[in-house]
Amino acid sequence: MSVEVEVDENDLAEMVEQVWEAYLDPEGVSPLMQTYDENQPSEVHSSVSITGSWSGHIVYSSSRAAAQRAAAAFLAMELDEVSEEDISDTLGELANIVGGNVKAMLPPGAQLSLPQVVLAPESSARYPNTERISGVYGLWEGEPVSISMWQSSTDTKEEGA
Amino acid sequence: MTPMRAMVIDDSRAMRMILKRIVTKLSFEAVEAGDGKEALDLLADMAEVPELALIDWNMPNMNGLEFVMKARAEPRLREMTLVMVTTESEQSQIVRALAAGAHEYVIKPFTEGAMIEKLALLGLVPTGANS
Repeated sequence: MSVEVEVDENDLAEMVEQVWEAYLDPEGVSPLMQTYDENQPSEVHSSVSITGSWSGHIVYSSSRAAAQRAAAAFLAMELDEVSEEDISDTLGELANIVGGNVKAMLPPGAQLSLPQVVLAPESSARYPNTERISGVYGLWEGEPVSISMWQSSTDTKEEGA
Repeated sequence: MTPMRAMVIDDSRAMRMILKRIVTKLSFEAVEAGDGKEALDLLADMAEVPELALIDWNMPNMNGLEFVMKARAEPRLREMTLVMVTTESEQSQIVRALAAGAHEYVIKPFTEGAMIEKLALLGLVPTGANS
């Protein structure tokens, strides 16, 4: 089954802004500054899969420093208190929140997986038969952060048929 | 005066910590559970049932909707206020959760202020606790 994706970069950017306001930058002093550079480097990433009316993945990736900063903000800790487990938990929840909100914009019948976290670059991950269709790419206090959508090529082929 | 108690049910430790921080600030004593099954097991061992449960939807073992249905079927747990705290923001999902017996619904991402306002609406904290 395939659907036309109605979640664009503006939608993703709005979600990202809400996440920053709620958890990562409640004071509104360090927003994610968009670079529009989809090739920026990453050191860690997390993802959730969506299946059903749309099939694909939502991937959150960043530098390790940005992940550590996110965990410190999320968990109200000092940077030097943040453990590997804190980083994993935070990255997983960030992917879950963005993925859940993307799912809500899709036609009914989509299901969200539990998050996967890999403390390695996004480029080391393989999402077979997918195509990156949208993303928000930026710098957070100078560190790269991105949120991208990868659609199953089965869906994209059907759409084009 | 006995403090109010809250149970935070979420498979994300990070989200449990955020929710625990908020309810503790509101003078609740908080206990945590990693999924619906663990929550039911903990509740079965408690002498007194918490006044509030904050429940994620997507969890392994027993999801939030199943937990709400089980809690509603258990007379001992009927006084507990059930709030879904989840990314499941589709209208149909909200209707399902409320029909199953949840009292309120909070969509992630939420701000601390929004959560406190919701608990005030439910009469669990004084109105204006956010100010």
